[in-house]
Amino acid sequence: MIGLIVTLVLFPLAGLAFGRRSIGEAFLLGAGITGTVLFVAGVVHVPLVIAMVVLGAWTVGRGAWVLKKGFPLTTPHSALPTILMCIPLLALAFGAAIMPLNDFDGRAFWALKAKGIAHERSIDGPFFHGGTHDPRNQYPVLIPLDGAVILSLAHSLDDRNLRWLYLGILAALALLVRERIGRLVSPAAGAWCAALLVWIPQFAVEPEGGALSAYNDIAIAAFAAGAFFDLLDADARKSEIRFGLWLAFLVLTKSEGLPLALVFLAIGAFVFRKRILAPSIIAFIATLSLIVWRLRIPAGDEEDVFRLLPTLPEKLHRLGIAIAAFPRHMLLMPRWGVLWIAVIIAGIIAARLDRRAWLAIAMIASILALYAAVYVTTAWVPSELIAVTADRLLMHVIAPSLFLLAVAGRANRTSAAKPS
Amino acid sequence: MSGRWLTRIAAALLFISLAASTLPRLIAIVTNARTLQPLTYEARRERQMGPWYASIEKLRAELPKKEPVALIAPPRDLDAAVFANYYLYPIHTRLFAGRNAYRNAAPDPTRPKVIVAVNALHAERTEYDILRDRDLRAGRRVVTVPQLSGPIPAFILPIAASVDGPSPDTFLIEATLANPNAAPAEVRVTFWPKGVVRTIAIPAHSTAGYYDFVYQLFGIMSSGWIDVESSQPLRGAFYFVNRGRGDATLLPNASPATAIEPGALYRDTKLFIINPKGTRATAILNGESIPLDPHAFISRPIESLPAVGGDVYAFVSTRELNGRTNFLWPQ
Repeated sequence: MIGLIVTLVLFPLAGLAFGRRSIGEAFLLGAGITGTVLFVAGVVHVPLVIAMVVLGAWTVGRGAWVLKKGFPLTTPHSALPTILMCIPLLALAFGAAIMPLNDFDGRAFWALKAKGIAHERSIDGPFFHGGTHDPRNQYPVLIPLDGAVILSLAHSLDDRNLRWLYLGILAALALLVRERIGRLVSPAAGAWCAALLVWIPQFAVEPEGGALSAYNDIAIAAFAAGAFFDLLDADARKSEIRFGLWLAFLVLTKSEGLPLALVFLAIGAFVFRKRILAPSIIAFIATLSLIVWRLRIPAGDEEDVFRLLPTLPEKLHRLGIAIAAFPRHMLLMPRWGVLWIAVIIAGIIAARLDRRAWLAIAMIASILALYAAVYVTTAWVPSELIAVTADRLLMHVIAPSLFLLAVAGRANRTSAAKPS
Repeated sequence: MSGRWLTRIAAALLFISLAASTLPRLIAIVTNARTLQPLTYEARRERQMGPWYASIEKLRAELPKKEPVALIAPPRDLDAAVFANYYLYPIHTRLFAGRNAYRNAAPDPTRPKVIVAVNALHAERTEYDILRDRDLRAGRRVVTVPQLSGPIPAFILPIAASVDGPSPDTFLIEATLANPNAAPAEVRVTFWPKGVVRTIAIPAHSTAGYYDFVYQLFGIMSSGWIDVESSQPLRGAFYFVNRGRGDATLLPNASPATAIEPGALYRDTKLFIINPKGTRATAILNGESIPLDPHAFISRPIESLPAVGGDVYAFVSTRELNGRTNFLWPQ
């Protein structure tokens, strides 16, 4: 119960402390800011407890002050998509409340790190120096830091306290999609896209990577969604700062977050132009912190993508299997239904009607191309790596994909409304 | 058909394709959660993970909280060790893929002393020698057709061991004792220089076989020599075996002798001297007198064959480059 309360109160308040945002965005910003601030504090050797207290005090004070003005809640445009969105979330909440964590990576790496940090109150204590078995020692720890905050406040290392965090991220992502696509395309499109999102098996019910697991791919999808929407909404006030924050969160959440952030920065440079400096600095600080931290702790058996990329030319014979990876997984009906077929059709339609669709297409294509390059260069057996990761990597491009669906849907309706 | 309807139909088809997979699994989640709801949280974990989790709970209660723990899992069951590591935290653990990984870490002073054996079915606190014995028992003896001696009432095994070197070296004694008599034999076995005694009974016309004579009889991992005395003449065969390399040497029945037969010396060459008698003795080693306690067993590294004298039994062991152990016995 304490885990639920902390998750529902602390992270939205932390997000609100940075400005009046919708509840979904506030939750994601709050989770990101909490993890990032504690991580940077840990890197510069500020005791984690002090950092937590300062952040908590500021969060509660400033967040509550902003909250007095209220959340900018979007009007439920249509009852049907809202109900459809709530059904899986309620069912998953029931499951999260009762069923213990049972996935692989969540227990082997992510929740274990949260326990380690909460127990030692440090991000470079004995846990990260071989004190206990942690095969992926250098995985970024933003979400484990959020988990450590929950565990510390709950005074327990039991992972039942973490269950709400992961479900909360999915719910927040759905609300972010609903609000942003609602604003960028139409409220109905936003509501339907959010409903579709929570019904995607890979997000909702897949044991490895879904909302009831403790994987970090929904978090990456959510932070990438935040960055993508701020890229589309580049004219909004302080959008470049938020864009930079999302990139920092990506860098500190998973190893693939850094190349993902670089893709965003490269595309963002065309959109923000001179204003790209601010997000670049924020992402750079996060990257530097990550590098400094990694230099201090021993490496596990994780792959270094940047060291492997130069080996690309000598491994080109794997190109076929890497290129085929995503199309093959996109057609896995039990995990994706016909979503990707719809996205491809929507992309073709949307590209003819809305310039912003090109941004979404560029984003999806660049990210998938980058991941395919990683598959080519990996030191693992590519087919085995693809089998266990491709679906989770596809999750990272869900926001631009849903945006394409929304644009194409609106295009059809607009064309129908025109007089013949 | 208007674009609006086309969009709606497409959206409905898309939604149905997603719900077709998600809905049954959501229903399964809710049903499962309802089944688990009346149980305590730990009981829910037990229901999910079976007796394996119950054994982890038991371990959590019995393991020392501040001492690191070695998790030894067969390589095929490493996942189980990874999860044991998760559920045992904050007890610090180190994972070893198989018993050999643990024994190879012997020179590491930080190697945990507390051992937990984990596999996919359960986890238990144990000792290294128990794991070793389990592996040896499950394996096959190296000598399948032992060359039995003629019937005699006593044997002296100049070397008896149950010890491990770095993987795969596993030294032990494979023993066979056959009682050809019409009466049962009572056999008294003494492990020197510790002086521990065990008595075994071999029924008439029966044979007793041991895959690890020292450990099976005395429950210790050590080295020394053995004195076997029987109430009936027995036919016996005792092999010094390196189970990991599959080589075996038939041990002679020792009586005081020191003129070691010349032979090639390789690496790790050692001279062994035993005093099989119950009185003090003196060994002469290259002219130097070495006093020996009753039943003493000493060894020292050598580089060339020494001249040994005295009322003792002396022999040499040396290891070929392929790892095989050779013995040079006294004539």
